[in-house]
Amino acid sequence: MLKRLTPWFFVLLLLVSCSNEQEKEQTLTISAAASLTDAIEEITDIYEQSHNLSITLNIAGSGRLAQQIEQGAPADVFLSANQKWMDEMENKTVIDPSTRINFVTNRLVVISKKGTDPLPSIQSITQLEKNEQIALGQPGSVPAGTYTKQGLESIHLWDDLEEKMVFGNDVRQVLAYVESGNVTYGFVYGSDAASSEKVSIVSELEDDSHDAIVYPAAVVKASDHPDSARDFVDFLRSEEAQNIFSAYGFKPVEEREG
Amino acid sequence: MSYSPLFLSLKIATIATIIVFLLGVLSARIISRRIFPGKSIVESVLLLPLVLPPTVVGFGLLYLFGVNGPIGHWLLLLFDYKVVFTWVAAVIAAIVVSFPLMYQSASAAFQNYDPNVENAALTMGASKFKVFFTISLPLAWPGLLAGLVLTFARALGEFGATLMIAGNIPGVTSTIPLAIYSAVEAGRMEQAYTWVIVIIALGFSSVLWLNWWTKRNVMSFKQNS
Amino acid sequence: MLTVDIKKKLKAFQLDAGFTMNNEIVVLFGPSGSGKTTTLNCLSGLSHPDEGSIQLRGRTLFSKKQKPVPVQKRNIGYVFQDYALFPHMTVRNNILYGAKSMEEVDQLVDTLGISHLLEEYPRNISGGEKQRVALARAFATKPELLLLDEPFSSLDENVKKECHNELLRLHKKWGIPVILVTHDQAEANKLADRVIEMEQGRVLE
Repeated sequence: MLKRLTPWFFVLLLLVSCSNEQEKEQTLTISAAASLTDAIEEITDIYEQSHNLSITLNIAGSGRLAQQIEQGAPADVFLSANQKWMDEMENKTVIDPSTRINFVTNRLVVISKKGTDPLPSIQSITQLEKNEQIALGQPGSVPAGTYTKQGLESIHLWDDLEEKMVFGNDVRQVLAYVESGNVTYGFVYGSDAASSEKVSIVSELEDDSHDAIVYPAAVVKASDHPDSARDFVDFLRSEEAQNIFSAYGFKPVEEREG
Repeated sequence: MSYSPLFLSLKIATIATIIVFLLGVLSARIISRRIFPGKSIVESVLLLPLVLPPTVVGFGLLYLFGVNGPIGHWLLLLFDYKVVFTWVAAVIAAIVVSFPLMYQSASAAFQNYDPNVENAALTMGASKFKVFFTISLPLAWPGLLAGLVLTFARALGEFGATLMIAGNIPGVTSTIPLAIYSAVEAGRMEQAYTWVIVIIALGFSSVLWLNWWTKRNVMSFKQNS
Repeated sequence: MLTVDIKKKLKAFQLDAGFTMNNEIVVLFGPSGSGKTTTLNCLSGLSHPDEGSIQLRGRTLFSKKQKPVPVQKRNIGYVFQDYALFPHMTVRNNILYGAKSMEEVDQLVDTLGISHLLEEYPRNISGGEKQRVALARAFATKPELLLLDEPFSSLDENVKKECHNELLRLHKKWGIPVILVTHDQAEANKLADRVIEMEQGRVLE
C-alpha cells in the first residue's frame, strides 16, 4: 500500500514546490466595487506591466466585498463605492486608516434603452405604465442604491415609486436589467451609463440631493504585501490612472472639492 | 421587520406545489408505464433542472420569459403582460426547479404496485377515470405525498433561479431565501438569523411530518399489498 | 358461443390462435411464453391483436373493420395469476367494485363460503381465500366469459384440489364459457372439457 503511494507523494511534492515557485511573483488582490469594473481592469493592466507583480481582481457590490474581507477573504486593497462601508471597515479595524484616500467621484443618472427620449424632468419618471418597472441597487447594501434612495426621498418620489422597484445586487445588474429591456428605467452611476452602448441617459439626480459619491480606497490590515498595496493605492491618484477614470465617465476628486 | 417574506414564501411555494403536483402526477402517469422510442431522453429532460445549477435554470427562464424572449415577447404582445420581475415569475422558477422531484416520486409511486390491479378494475367495467381515482391514486398516494412534501420544501427554498427572473422586490418576490441574502449583503445579521431560523423550522417540520405520516400510514398500508 | 381467430406479432414469434367454443371449460395448455396470456389479454381487451376477429354470443368484440369494443364494455371476467385484489379495500368492497346486483353478491359469497371474510383486507387472508375472493369478484360482474390465468399455481395441493372442485361446481351452476390457462398437465386433464395446446404462439391440433 505504502509502496504504491510513494510515486504520488513525489508528484504532490513537485506540485507544492511548483506553487511555491509562483509565489515569488507577488500577487495583489484588489476588491473593487462593481461600478469600477471597466476602468479598474484597464488600470490594473497598466500597473501590472509597469510593476513586477500580478493582480487578481475581485469585483462585487461594495457591501458584499466588505463582508467578504471582514470574514477573512484574501484582499490587499479595498475600493469601495461609498464612505459607509469603508467607515465600517475602519471601525472594525479591518483596514489601515492611514492608507485611506478618496480617489474618484461619480454622479447618479437615470438610464433607459438606447434611443429613449430624455425625460422632461425627473418627476415624470412616476408616469409608468402597467408593465414598467425601475431598477436600482439594493439600498441596504449597494451604495448606488443608497444614494438613489437619498436622492428620491429628498425630492419626495421614493414612496410613489416604491412598488415599481426591482433591486439589483450591484449596480452592474441594474445596468443589465435595463439593457435586456426587462426593466424600463434604472438608476446607475454616470460611469456605468458611459460604459454601455445599449442605454441612453434620460435624466439625473442632482448632486446635492444625496451624499457626495466619493470612492475611497484603503489597504487591508491583513495584507501580506502592505507596501505594494499602498503603492497601488497611490497609483490610483496618478495622472495616468485619473485619465483612464475620466475616460470611463468618472470625475476627479478635486473637481468636487474645488 | 416585515412578515411579508414569510407570507410570500408560503404563497409562492403553495401555488407552485399545487401546479407541480398536478403536472407531475399527470406526466408520470402518461410517461412512466409506457415504452416508446426516446423515452429516456424525455425523462432526462424532465429531470434536468435537478442536476443543473439554479443559475442555468434562471438563465434559461430569463431567456424564455424576458420581454425579448420567445415566450415573454408573445405574452407582452397578446396579453400586455410582463412576467419577469413579478411574483408569477417566482412561481415559475419554483415550478421548474421542483418539478423533477415530484415527477420522480410520482413515477416510482405508480410503478410500486401490480399493474394488473388496474387491469382487473378495467375488466370489471370501471372507466379509466374511475380506475384512476379509486385504484391508482389511493395506491400511489404514499409516494405522491412524499413527492408533494419534497416539492413544497424545494419550492420554499428556491433562490438562484428566482433571483434571476423574479428579481429581489420587497413584498413582491422577496421570499425568505432572498430576504436572507439581502440581509446578509446589507450586514443586517440579526434579521438574517431570524429568517434562517424560520426557514429551518419550516423545512424541518414538513420533513418531520412526512416521516411521521409515513410511519403511521405506509407501514400498515404496505402490509396490505 | 365464442369464436376466436387472431394474429399478433410478439417479440419472439407471431401469435396465431383460432378456436371456437361453447359454454364449456377450455384449457389453454402449453409452456410459459407460448402466447397463452397474450391470448387472454386480447380476449379481455387489455391488448389488441394486429388482425383477425373475436366474436362472443354474436357480438363482434374485435374485427379489422371496426373500432375494438373497449375492455370496460366487453363484460368478460378475468382472474389474474396473483389475483390482483385491491389491497386498499376490504373483501366486501373488492367484490362490490364491479357488482351488478347486491342480492346475487350475497348468494355468491355464500356459495363460495367467504361470507366470514367480508370485512377483512386481502393481506389478512390465505391464498385459497384470495383465490375465492378473486373468483367472486369476477362473477359479481355477471360476465359472459370467464378468463382464468394460472389461477391455482400458487396454492398447495389440498387447497388446489378444493378449488378445482369449486370451479367445476360453479361452472355447472352458471354455465358460461371458461378459458383457463395452465401449464399443469394434471390440472388440464381434470378441469377441461377440451384442451387446446399452444406452442410458440400456435394452436397444436
